Amino acid sequence: MSEPRRAAAADPVRIDDTLWEIPAGAREDMRVPARVFADADLLEAIRTDHSLEQLQNVATLPGIVEAAIAMPDIHQGYGFPVGGIAATEPPDGVVSPGGVGYDINCGVRLLAAPFTAADLGERRGALMDEIARRVPTGAGRGGRLKLAAAELDAVLEQGPRWLVERRGIGTPDDVAATESEGRLDGADPARVSPRARERGADQLGTVGSGNHFIEVQRVDAILDAETAEAFGLREDQVTILIHSGSRGLGHQVCTDYVRRMDRALERHGITLPDRQLSCAPVGSDEGRAYLAAMAAAANFAWANRHAIADAVRRSVAGVVGRGAAAATRQVYDVAHNVAKLEEHGGRTVCVHRKGATRAFPGQPVFIPGSMGTASYVLAGRQGSMERSFGTVCHGAGRRMSRTAAKKQVEGAALRRELEAQGIAVRAASSKGLAEEAPLAYKDVDAVVRVVERAGLAGRVARLRPIGVVKG
Amino acid sequence: MESTHRWIEHTSELQLELHARSEAGVFTEALHALRELFEDDSPGDGEPARRTVEAEATDRGALLAEWMAELVFLAEKEGLVPDDVRDLVVGEDTVTAKVVGRLGAPRHLVKAVTYHDLELRRDRDGWRGNVVLDV
Repeated sequence: MSEPRRAAAADPVRIDDTLWEIPAGAREDMRVPARVFADADLLEAIRTDHSLEQLQNVATLPGIVEAAIAMPDIHQGYGFPVGGIAATEPPDGVVSPGGVGYDINCGVRLLAAPFTAADLGERRGALMDEIARRVPTGAGRGGRLKLAAAELDAVLEQGPRWLVERRGIGTPDDVAATESEGRLDGADPARVSPRARERGADQLGTVGSGNHFIEVQRVDAILDAETAEAFGLREDQVTILIHSGSRGLGHQVCTDYVRRMDRALERHGITLPDRQLSCAPVGSDEGRAYLAAMAAAANFAWANRHAIADAVRRSVAGVVGRGAAAATRQVYDVAHNVAKLEEHGGRTVCVHRKGATRAFPGQPVFIPGSMGTASYVLAGRQGSMERSFGTVCHGAGRRMSRTAAKKQVEGAALRRELEAQGIAVRAASSKGLAEEAPLAYKDVDAVVRVVERAGLAGRVARLRPIGVVKG
Repeated sequence: MESTHRWIEHTSELQLELHARSEAGVFTEALHALRELFEDDSPGDGEPARRTVEAEATDRGALLAEWMAELVFLAEKEGLVPDDVRDLVVGEDTVTAKVVGRLGAPRHLVKAVTYHDLELRRDRDGWRGNVVLDV
């Protein structure tokens, strides 16, 4: 039932200073408009790939409400664009595994250390070495945390809370400082296939590869003193940002349900412009099964970042001291690939966030830049509830393919350049490093300025990298 | 006509275009493309291994995707870098083969084989496939 669509995206119309819209009438199959938060320069960059065409495709999903929405870091993905948001109304509105992505609950966790970059001083290299030694990175590498089948079930159901209560890993405060307290309701391990379990069983506590990383940073600027204090952040403080997801387990859950829903499209009478948008009504057997499996994978991802954070604290203990490790506090943990049932505008909707971060008013949000550039701590604002289903961007957003980045940047040279900037690099692969070169990404400052001007979130602090362990 | 593959520019993922004289040739070429990706210019010398692979799907494009998904799974779980394929049988809705390769440490992670722009069809010169990988 899928038909390839190759039409170019329609021209967006400017709505206000930071919002552009492609009207629903631009294509016969669009049910709602497609909206993009961007400034003129970012929009120009966005229009160089298939992002907007993909956003228009999202606008065709059955049951989508209000608009298909994109953040300023949007870029071309597969099916959904990365940086896209879609809210659908159950029970007939659909849930689409591709609207979450393969890396279910890919997200970021920020830890705040009790010491400054100056305090860390010469020990920075040793800390990076220790983190790199304790946290497996790269393709397919397993972790130290081995789980029996029943224990994996418990993690899938309970997320990081199980690690705290049964393995003494992390603290209850960490769990409290996690989106949804690290546990989505309705998780059902029985909906996770044996293959997904096999892929994930030994990957808890591992970073993976691609754009995943652990970055040690320095608070470079406080931009909102009151909120920074509430988040426990102060100038020159060392922070650690962990970016990873549900690893092979989540990849397989998405694979399984894209296939299953693809085969059920005709039965549900759904026609799509892109097969990767395969979906099923939220209230259908397929929809409910996917949400239960996705919740389990999301809980696994939170447990994964929780286990990585524990290894980071152990690294701090080894290099700086046990007291410093015990006082290394979790600021928050946010998902940026997930679907959740939420209340918006007086109705329950299934909000798909694909490369987009929940940003409820006052909630901490972390926007990683690229290696060598700043990352930001934001706080959600009321505007996000009114304009974007409580959502903001998730990063700088790629602007260049991995192949192009590798053509322009040589990994070893980039490593030297970053080291010269005071960033200690620990990366298994120089090519992998080159793929994630700063020039492959948009300007994170510009992206963050747009979401602030749009009233979706406010800047709280700017973080500069002083070391990176690259997946 | 020689079997060929090429990686096409994609902002965030890897798009693979495959060409072969026969449909089965596209499946073989897909394996060679994955070998190239997993080796990343550094051929390993791991222990030789042979695995039986079976996949099924309801259409041609999906069958190609499922075949590649099996190879991705073997790479992730066993570290199998595929070198070649034997006894390849591409049926109406199934593909079976013996994959020979080396057990090592694939350098490039492939998260999944997507259904985006998925294609396997006959063209003027033979058969053409198109696949986007999430990496």
